[in-house]
Amino acid sequence: MAMLSLCGLSDDTLFKSKCEVEENEAFETFQSDNTVNQMNLYSLPGNPVENMRMITARDTMGRPIELNFHHGTTTLGFLYQGGIVLAVDSRATGGQYIGSQCMKKIVEINDFMLGTLAGGAADCVYWDRVLSKQCRLHELRNKERISVTAASKIMSNMIYYYKGYGLSIGMMLAGYDKNGPSLFYIDNDGSRTPGKVFSVGSGSIYAFGVLDSGYKWDLTDEEAQKLGQRAIFHATHRDAYSGGIVRVYHITKDGWKHIKNEDCDEIYDRVKNEAK
Amino acid sequence: MSIMDYNGGALIGMKGKDCVAIATDKRFGIQAQTVSLDFTKVFQINPHTYMGFPGLATDIFTVYEKIMFRKRLYELKENRKISPKALASLVSNLLYENRFSPFFVEPMIVALDEVTLEPYMCDMDLIGCVNKSDNFVVGGTSSSQLYGLCEALWEPDMEEDQLFETISQALVSACNRDAISGWGAKVYIIKKDKIIVRDIKTRMD
Repeated sequence: MAMLSLCGLSDDTLFKSKCEVEENEAFETFQSDNTVNQMNLYSLPGNPVENMRMITARDTMGRPIELNFHHGTTTLGFLYQGGIVLAVDSRATGGQYIGSQCMKKIVEINDFMLGTLAGGAADCVYWDRVLSKQCRLHELRNKERISVTAASKIMSNMIYYYKGYGLSIGMMLAGYDKNGPSLFYIDNDGSRTPGKVFSVGSGSIYAFGVLDSGYKWDLTDEEAQKLGQRAIFHATHRDAYSGGIVRVYHITKDGWKHIKNEDCDEIYDRVKNEAK
Repeated sequence: MSIMDYNGGALIGMKGKDCVAIATDKRFGIQAQTVSLDFTKVFQINPHTYMGFPGLATDIFTVYEKIMFRKRLYELKENRKISPKALASLVSNLLYENRFSPFFVEPMIVALDEVTLEPYMCDMDLIGCVNKSDNFVVGGTSSSQLYGLCEALWEPDMEEDQLFETISQALVSACNRDAISGWGAKVYIIKKDKIIVRDIKTRMD
């Protein structure tokens, strides 16, 4: 150690592995609350997966009430010749009760990337906010916008860290980066898949019905936007837990563009008149 | 989810001045899936006697048929139309017979007495506890919303037009806060010389 002080070196940098130093730093951040590190969420001591199972509320008959904050939703996204179209409904329910008819289920992560929300409202909104921060940091650090692939991996890794804790997230991440347009599906099981056509939520079965029958790679922009809107609209009609307004977004090489918001009630009247 | 909420639906009965009204939504669903849009849960029992059946769709028809059977038997035996009050006892009895394996319906009776033309209104729980009401009765999956709206909108001695306005507004607004009610509605205004039936437009999502 005399040699070290003679050279003017402190011992805690030299003989500790890089990994050890990082571990200490990580531990320090872990001690702070989640404003510094969003991955730092409180949980009871012991095995959190088991704890979450134990603390689930019980009803009057003693049956466990699932801690599943599912809100019914219909969201869809598809890739086609002219870019990506995303369309979502705007209903938020708590059980049968309609809590909101104007929820924003598309999150604008940056000018070239959008995320859709389905599942637990709080989970989706929180983790999308964390993702937005990570994407911005990436942009500042690398002087380059994050790729959709990288962003989706950040998201799925964050969710995977909490696998089994009861998170409820089903999202699509869509954007345009240097590799062109891309669309990913990410959920709380940890799955992350690129694809061309996705629909997520309780109304997705109905949306897929319309989407699959009208989808072609060669759709024009207007056709694609109409198809997205129509698929969501029909889903809101059949699915009790979807409704409100249909929001349509379009992503091209120039970034995302909000196309329109239209009330399901107005679409219904129009569709009915067209059918006559 | 309770079996009472399996099919969804909303119903209201309301009393006015010398008239009564009953309103129903038109949804028939299986949990979240909307199956049909013309499922009214209101039946005419006699010229001025109507019943509404919120609850499990399969039991709605069973109970309705059972009630009609007993009501016809009663009318043949007595050689006169059943009074709404007697009908309430009849239905209550029928439901309590199934105390330990109940039908999952909570019927409501909205009527003008066939002889005196006196308004009568009541609802009951699924095992036949009658609750007579002088203002309004509500039932179905959005009953909490309906109670709030009726409590706020109902006034005594409403004329036919105002009654129609009030009952429709209450039903439409309640359906807008309930995921499994709505998809169209039907209102019946029962007056001594006329029954007015109107279809109401609601949100279809």
